[in-house]
Amino acid sequence: MNANTPAVQVRQLCKNYGSVQALKGVDLSIAAGEYFVLLGPSGGGKTTLLRTIGGFHKPSSGQVWLNGQEVSHLPPDKRPTSMVFQAYALFPHMTVLGNVGYGLSLAKLPKAEVRDKSVAMLEMVGLSGYENRRPHELSGGQQQRVQLARALVLGRNILLLDEPLAALDAQLRKDMCLELKHLQEKVGITFIHVTHNQEEAMTVADRIALIADGELVEQGAARDIYRTPERRFTASFVGENNLLSGTVAAVEGDTVTVQVCGQALAVDRRDLPVRSGETVALSIRSELVEMVPAEGAAPADGRSLAGTYTESVYLGLTLSHRVALADGTEMVARIVGESDTPEPPAGAAVRVQWKPGALRLHVN
Amino acid sequence: MTNATDTGLGGLPPVEPFRPSLRERMSGWAFYIPIVFMVLFFALPMALTVVFSVFERTMFWMEPGFTLQAYENFFFSARLENFLASMGYSLISVAVSFCIGFPIAVFVRKSVPQAAQHRVVLLFILPFMVSEIIRIFALRPVLQRNGLVNETLTSLGLIDEPITALIYTHTGVIIGEVLSFMPFIVFAGFLAMEAVPKFIFEVCDDLGAGPVRRFTDVILPLAAPGIFAGAVFIFVNGIGVALIPNILGGPGAVNAGLIATQAISALDFPLAMAVSAIMMATLMGLLYVGHRLFDLTKILAPMN
Amino acid sequence: MDDYANIWLHRTKWAYLLLVVATLMSPVFYVMYISFNENGFGAAQYVFTTRWYGLIFADAQLMNALRWTLMLAAMTTVLTIPMALMAAKFYKATRAKVPVVFLMLAPLFVAPDILSAALLVFFKNVNFTFQWLGALAGVSFMDGWFRLSFSTALIGLVIYTIPYAFVVILITMGRYNKEQTEAARACGASGWRAFWDIEFPQIRAGVFSASAFTVILCFNEYTRTSLLKGGFDTFTTVLVSQMLNSGMSEQSYAMSSFVSFVAIALIGGIIVVTLMRSEVAARKAQPVAEPNTAPA
Repeated sequence: MNANTPAVQVRQLCKNYGSVQALKGVDLSIAAGEYFVLLGPSGGGKTTLLRTIGGFHKPSSGQVWLNGQEVSHLPPDKRPTSMVFQAYALFPHMTVLGNVGYGLSLAKLPKAEVRDKSVAMLEMVGLSGYENRRPHELSGGQQQRVQLARALVLGRNILLLDEPLAALDAQLRKDMCLELKHLQEKVGITFIHVTHNQEEAMTVADRIALIADGELVEQGAARDIYRTPERRFTASFVGENNLLSGTVAAVEGDTVTVQVCGQALAVDRRDLPVRSGETVALSIRSELVEMVPAEGAAPADGRSLAGTYTESVYLGLTLSHRVALADGTEMVARIVGESDTPEPPAGAAVRVQWKPGALRLHVN
Repeated sequence: MTNATDTGLGGLPPVEPFRPSLRERMSGWAFYIPIVFMVLFFALPMALTVVFSVFERTMFWMEPGFTLQAYENFFFSARLENFLASMGYSLISVAVSFCIGFPIAVFVRKSVPQAAQHRVVLLFILPFMVSEIIRIFALRPVLQRNGLVNETLTSLGLIDEPITALIYTHTGVIIGEVLSFMPFIVFAGFLAMEAVPKFIFEVCDDLGAGPVRRFTDVILPLAAPGIFAGAVFIFVNGIGVALIPNILGGPGAVNAGLIATQAISALDFPLAMAVSAIMMATLMGLLYVGHRLFDLTKILAPMN
Repeated sequence: MDDYANIWLHRTKWAYLLLVVATLMSPVFYVMYISFNENGFGAAQYVFTTRWYGLIFADAQLMNALRWTLMLAAMTTVLTIPMALMAAKFYKATRAKVPVVFLMLAPLFVAPDILSAALLVFFKNVNFTFQWLGALAGVSFMDGWFRLSFSTALIGLVIYTIPYAFVVILITMGRYNKEQTEAARACGASGWRAFWDIEFPQIRAGVFSASAFTVILCFNEYTRTSLLKGGFDTFTTVLVSQMLNSGMSEQSYAMSSFVSFVAIALIGGIIVVTLMRSEVAARKAQPVAEPNTAPA
């Protein structure tokens, strides 16, 4: 295996359940040693994709290549992958040590070696001293650590994680996220992690792929996905974006003028194929929007919209002002930290504005 | 069992043909063994009863042909009357079993702690651990003129003369059927009550629905598919089990099962087959009606 | 029951439930009672004896029938349980659930006399067909195929017991999480190993109950066995033909009780063992089930 061979390559992968298309021709390449996250709404096909890579589903068409070998016809036990499941996948009739050592004893390793390797792996996931417990005697977080140990001890170089933290409470999930990230850095193998939680995805991922409706919507580094989403769907799913729709009024060089609620907005074209009169989507992250009182005439720079203030939502860390535009579209301006300025009365005329480059254009 | 799924379901044909090993394919096919067995030795013999029922009767056996002699024998004789009467008595048994058994199912679901529910229902399996025929025979010493019931009632001074209507009559048959099959309405009702969430009782209390309204408006509609299945079971066994009228019934207590058994003893095989075919048609008809009324697949919900 | 319910009403309902169970069992207990009476049924005086049981065990014909019964029960269990297991696995995996479940449960709804009549005529016809084919080909090895015998009775009993075993196993499987099988596959286990190492230990209780149930059903069965057997007798067929021919004798009371004792002992043993095991498991689980103390 060449160092440049991707750990996982998926080509034109389709999976049908009767008339339902769970995957519609997905192409994906994941480099060796990468922490890759499949992010998307439930029922979007991300778990199906992961399970097809793991060999738990046979593809209806298309191919899966692992470490440069076509494996579409192989069952899970013949693939270079191991898997961590959502929950309840520990063997309840075995001890923790039995669970971890199960795969090794299947491989007919000597008993002492199975034991030593399992104990070492349990130490690595922070569960020394729990060897003789049964799964039902462990907390949710501990159970997932045992699953990790059970998968990692096999020494395979691709680890699949199917919503591994979904059953844990919020605080524990945050801690485990970081631990997962550090663990991956330590063992250096490819992790493919499925989640619907964007914070979890951002914490652990080197790269993120957005999966929705059976298709790969967009992929890229976590930071890029958050800051510069290409597709409207990405903007709607990642971060807290305001989404606007409008009609293209003019295209001049790199700048596109879009009419939204009777007001002209200027937005960077980014080489997108866009024509006058076309309906397009615009997105802007709420923390980049600033709400100001509507005093005097609005500047004609195409970076503000007039609306009426409706309410504020205080979340401690952030304060969100909600503003209704003329057509009823709601926009959110989010401030991090406390604000000293008193809030305007409901129904007051306000303006939302932003800095150049904050607004992004999306075409279909 | 991915093998079974993949061989069992079509889906779109793969672009790349998969080449599972021979062993893998064999183990996939192994899961069809029970299905094939049941088709071969249950569905097929049951379906063939229709064919054999129109064969010509010979002295000791039958030969291929087409005659409705067996059906004439059934429909234009006392057999039809007996058959219809046994249906009536079987319906009475269903009603009595329901009245005795279903409240128990509701009670267990509603008022017994979750963990103990299965154990309580297990109590009703106990009678099944003893041969049905022994239980029915054992009713003779219980119901007889000088049997347990009459002895007890006499010694308590409640009756002067022993009650003779308890056995060798239609009453005897009904008693036998209720005692043999009543537990099934408890099981079916218990499973059916799975469709009635426990909080429903609290909602009803909250809304002020009395026990009667609660039963007719909420429990009955929700539990209907399960109750129906239990009722059909008792009904077809009531008209199909020959031993009960044979041992406990008097003159005229003849049901379909007994007609078939007697036909076989008389070496009239086409008649036995005709009775089987009629029974099968009755069952299919009942299940079809039940399915149209209640969607019987709901019963399977607890098994999925 | 809730806090406001009438405690006496609750107790009355319990009493009713137990009364119904007692009524269902009363004929059996009454027969047991009679079977220990030296003077038999209806006698004015009760003298305890085990003489009638002694008579059974001294009866060579009965003991022979008992052997046949045990063989039939054992063979039926050996066939029924794996088939019910496979059918339950198939049911879990397939999406065509209704035909499968219909096929597996339908025998419950066909009365014994009807089913065994249909099977009897079917087997006879198949046997005649094989004889005819054999005559055409000039060979005789097929003449015995599907002639009424041990194997035809066996098929009849498998058809009879499979729905019960299927339901019991399916209900036990309902509590099994199939992600465990996938986890085992991901650990490198083949499908068969994953089943044997991981799933089977967890549904073992259900499989054992289904086996016990199958044995008991076979032991008790009369109609199907008597119509489909060839030249041999089982314990129940001997007992029933005795009772049908000459009424209940002292010995038949003892035989009935004997069959009942065996069944009750078997099922009672299973209940006691499972209860004890779950108690022990619960007690073992308690002391260690403290809140999360994971060293992070």
